[in-house]
Amino acid sequence: MLSQEHITGHAATAIDEGGMLTMLVPALTILAVVLCGLFAAMRVKNKAPAFVTVALLAASFVAVLMTYLNLGVEKTWIAHGFDWINFSWSGSENRKLTTHALIANFSFYLDGLTILWMLFVTGLGTLIALYASEYMSHDVGAGYCRFFAAFSLFVFSMACLVMADNFLLLYLGWEGVGLCSYLLIGYFYKKPSAVAAAKKAFIVNRIGDLFLALGIMLIYTHFGSLEYTTVFAQTETYIEALKEGNLEVIPATVQLIPLLLMGGAFGKSAQLPLYVWLPDAMEGPTPVSALIHAATMVTAGVFLVARTYPLFLLSEHALPAVAWIGALTAFFSATIGMAQFDIKRIMAYSTVSQLGYMFCGLGVLTSVGGAFHVFTHAFFKAMLFLACGAVMHGFAGQLDLRKLSGVGFMRGWKVTTVAMLVGCLNLAGFPIITSGYWSKDMILGEAFANPHTQAIGWILLLTAGLTAYYTFRVFFRVFVGPVQYEMGDEHHGAHEDAHGHGEATHAPAHATHATPHAPGWAINTVLAVLAISAFAIIPFTYSHGGWVHTMIEGSTARYEGAAAYLGHGEHAHGTFLGFEAHGALMVVSGIVGAIGIVIAWWLHYAGRTTAATSRADALLPKLGPIPRWAQHKWYVDEFYDFLIVRPLWVLSNIFHFIDQYIVDGIVDLFGAAPSLTGKAVRPSQSGELHSYAAWMAGGMAVLILIVILVAT
Amino acid sequence: MLLTALILMPLLFAGIVAFAPARNARGMALLGTTLALALGAFVCSQFDWGYADKHQFGAAEPFVWFPALGLNLSLGVDSVALMLVLLTVLLGPICVLCSWTAITQRVRTYYSWLLVLQAAMTGVFCARDVIFFYICFEFTLIPMFILISLYGSTNRRKAAIKFFLFTFTGSVIALAGLIYVAWYATTTSGGRFQGWTFDIGALESAARTMSLRQQSIVLLALMAGFAVKVPLFPVHTWLPLAHTEAPTAGSVILAGVLLKLGTYALYRFVLPFVPEAVVEYAPFIGVLCIIGILYGGLICWVQTDVKKLVAYSSVAHLGFCVLGLFALNNTGITGSILYMINHGLSTGALFLLIGMVYERYHTRSMKELGGLASKMPVWATFMVFFTMASVGLPGLNGFVSEFLCLLGAFQASSAWGSGLWGSLGLQPGATPGDYGPWFAAVAGVGMIVAAMYLLYMVGRMVWGPLVEPRSHAHHAHGAEDPNALPRDLTPREIGLLIPIAALCIGLGIYPKPVLDALQPPVSRTIAHYEQLRNSPRLTPTAPAEHASAQDGEGAP
Repeated sequence: MLSQEHITGHAATAIDEGGMLTMLVPALTILAVVLCGLFAAMRVKNKAPAFVTVALLAASFVAVLMTYLNLGVEKTWIAHGFDWINFSWSGSENRKLTTHALIANFSFYLDGLTILWMLFVTGLGTLIALYASEYMSHDVGAGYCRFFAAFSLFVFSMACLVMADNFLLLYLGWEGVGLCSYLLIGYFYKKPSAVAAAKKAFIVNRIGDLFLALGIMLIYTHFGSLEYTTVFAQTETYIEALKEGNLEVIPATVQLIPLLLMGGAFGKSAQLPLYVWLPDAMEGPTPVSALIHAATMVTAGVFLVARTYPLFLLSEHALPAVAWIGALTAFFSATIGMAQFDIKRIMAYSTVSQLGYMFCGLGVLTSVGGAFHVFTHAFFKAMLFLACGAVMHGFAGQLDLRKLSGVGFMRGWKVTTVAMLVGCLNLAGFPIITSGYWSKDMILGEAFANPHTQAIGWILLLTAGLTAYYTFRVFFRVFVGPVQYEMGDEHHGAHEDAHGHGEATHAPAHATHATPHAPGWAINTVLAVLAISAFAIIPFTYSHGGWVHTMIEGSTARYEGAAAYLGHGEHAHGTFLGFEAHGALMVVSGIVGAIGIVIAWWLHYAGRTTAATSRADALLPKLGPIPRWAQHKWYVDEFYDFLIVRPLWVLSNIFHFIDQYIVDGIVDLFGAAPSLTGKAVRPSQSGELHSYAAWMAGGMAVLILIVILVAT
Repeated sequence: MLLTALILMPLLFAGIVAFAPARNARGMALLGTTLALALGAFVCSQFDWGYADKHQFGAAEPFVWFPALGLNLSLGVDSVALMLVLLTVLLGPICVLCSWTAITQRVRTYYSWLLVLQAAMTGVFCARDVIFFYICFEFTLIPMFILISLYGSTNRRKAAIKFFLFTFTGSVIALAGLIYVAWYATTTSGGRFQGWTFDIGALESAARTMSLRQQSIVLLALMAGFAVKVPLFPVHTWLPLAHTEAPTAGSVILAGVLLKLGTYALYRFVLPFVPEAVVEYAPFIGVLCIIGILYGGLICWVQTDVKKLVAYSSVAHLGFCVLGLFALNNTGITGSILYMINHGLSTGALFLLIGMVYERYHTRSMKELGGLASKMPVWATFMVFFTMASVGLPGLNGFVSEFLCLLGAFQASSAWGSGLWGSLGLQPGATPGDYGPWFAAVAGVGMIVAAMYLLYMVGRMVWGPLVEPRSHAHHAHGAEDPNALPRDLTPREIGLLIPIAALCIGLGIYPKPVLDALQPPVSRTIAHYEQLRNSPRLTPTAPAEHASAQDGEGAP
């Protein structure tokens, strides 16, 4: 549909041997999977799987870094691995010979976006694997190999997702990370809740995946290719048309594509209405929550939108929809997060909420802001999870913030507490000294700078206050205040092995875990590195993204001023109550964050004498049923169950009944007729097969006669 | 010669097994199937992939069987048939090995019928003559009937009879259709009698000259036979029963190859013989497929018998396969053929795994079994693996075929006529259908349903707290059974799963050789549809031309 010049004229692409270094990433991670599998087969009973995984992930991080240093991000590079689904055929269209091909190779597309994502995926992957080597030590010899095999497989899948040069390889990674998520959420497979959560995650993700798959099919049908290079070469002409304000030239099918892709993105990145799986996913071991369900996998949806940004720009409704869904999700899940008591769940809802910010960033045309927030969030959210995990690990699975207090004043918890504080400050957007402040501010500023997205800006600003409140609610309850704690009643299910075959013999308390144990060197090292890097990235990134900005500018996610319909084409700048938006928001968002922290301090720290009670207890009844509803997650799970799962279950049973008695019954009736006649006519016939053969001969003649009569 | 040997080899060993001492039966059967596999590999190596659409290895002078009726024993395989032959010979030794300890009674009968069954299935794929095809097609019923009725579980008698009656009735109607085509072919040009022929290639070109009305009747007859075998909704009800009651090897063959006889026959006869009718009625068949996908899938979700669950999943899976076939474009048909092989591998493996559990616990009920991961980790690993292959996880075999089938359906509109809408009195618009994407979207919901029921199965069987049947616990701890299997899989069992797992990964990561090999025959099938699309006879907006075409060619 486009002339050849446009495709060849797309000069940004080059093929280079230097890119082959990136092939090491999937190779090394798959090697780690295979080795962990071998360890499992050999029944290795030491920490070898962990250290192999850490070493190979570190090597793949180095490979990504070397690729970045060698190639830079000025150009897009393609590194060809091998042919995957790749075939061609010739046909005829209106008597002309045509050649078609379906090409989806195992090839990598290296631009700034790829490199940015791969750097933090492999970097954080290495650190979290190191953390997990200690965290999972209770399972050495049991599920240890399984854990690290799935962990490495996750990094492999994520590499395919991020580095793919075509939509189908992206889809491979997309479903691959879903599988690993399934396996790791259900890691403690003897717990029915973990199994249910794993299943829920997979199925809800599959709903999104269907939209993604349909989007991919529409892309192939319309653009005739699955490869980014070819597709984006064709979108360029549309973008040119858009810059001139001709929205009409873009076919409706093309405008439909981003809406379908969005469905996939919202499933994977846990946005409304498909967010319900992520809080339940906290059933998995905490390193998994940190890596997969906070830092990397859940940002795949943001990545997808960033990767296909040229397609999103082509639709009048796509980016506004992304922004609105993001803003509503951010607010909605923040309200739930405020009312939870399980600290890991609070972090989960805050992840959902922050992902909403990222989508808003993309939606209000600051793809840099979106990517920047992904990048900073990856660090501080992983750190928050890992700190929570250290607490959970030390206190035998205790996660209830009403049963833990003053952890920071106990022996050996200093590093954890400092890491937690740094994480909380980042999440709350504490001004100037935190990277989270800079990235969130960029999105807020841009939302207000656009006159069409003012409402979104206000929602996000309000959410920023809520975020600061619930974040510091955790910190003030758990890490400071009077020292009081109650141990959890389980130890990640690891002890069930000791009780024979999972029979319900709940020992009252495990003597060995009656006292908390502080984290060891691996956990502390990782927390320290993350806390330092949360600060260290500020100089590279502050003020409009800095380094992140250069990474995004050279990628598919760059914004080319094309979306005239969003108001930017007219250069009409929105303001924040009459002030210049970006400048004003730097001050305002800082103040809003500080107010949230102060309220949390007043309600949950000042004057608190026990772990279980605080000033908030007196306040809550005045709000009526709202806190209770929020604590029950606004009954969304129940609503889905009532509206979708139950009816489907009933329908399935009806189908089953119909199948057994009606469809089969009718067919039996047809079957019975001849055999009854057969019995009546020839009762003496001995074998059933014989009588069938006789009837066959007669019936055949009749049938042929019927066919001939009817057909001629 | 090679193909004849490939059919005769299992027959020869069937004879040996029948007369050899019973204790040697399984060994001889294994030898026979292994030799057949080796021969299959040799055929594969000798096959000229450059001419993958030519039927190769046919003898220069076919053995004339019944000259008056033009019956020849002609054989030949193109790449499509060859792949299915390879699947058949691969599953041969696997079926023998999976019965190794399970079958202890009447072993000679069992293994000799198993070998006869393999010969018949190979014959179906190799046949280039309609009558020889049909004889083999029907002959598969007898060994299967015997395997189910003698070696099945409690309800085996009913299952065997139902299986036999259903498929037999269907295929008799199909035979009527095929004979009508042959009869029509004797008088194609100008009403002169030209002598009988049953050669598939000759019938193909003759059948295409039939009028739309004639083609539609033949389509109906062929579908009646082959849809039962596939099985398509609503004639699928024999399948769950037969699968559930059959011995493990029977289920593996049933899912792996016997169902593919139906889809292969659709590919071999329906698509090339009656293209105009197919174009008209493809959307209707597509609707049946989609009903099968969703209806079958949802029924899976409420099963408590794990074997029945997998059996119903075949109804859903084969819906994808036939949907791809009737998408009438390269992607769809390629995906469909690949689906035939992939479904044979992954569902066959699931039946093997369930058989292994059944052999240990003598139950298939998911109420009595659960959390087996803690007791049988190796089994659990394979179970999760093959479930993922079955659910269509990219990187494994199932994805490639499922995606291609759906993509085919997505793009099918341009190939389809308006038969369905016409018969409903609807006018779909100026272009005959922008409804292909809707077919793909609704069928795609089947992907979600597949995840629902397969993960439900895995969640019950593999994960969760360990549940074992009460009688079994008593049995195991009380009297020590000397023949009792060890808890987890034996090296024999692992050995027969590994080749299938390797193929699943291989076909998932590097399907290119297979995809390339399928293009020539698929393009040949498609070529006629492309001609039709460009020819005025098919223009759906010109019903008058249909009528004149009928008048002109209808009367023989």
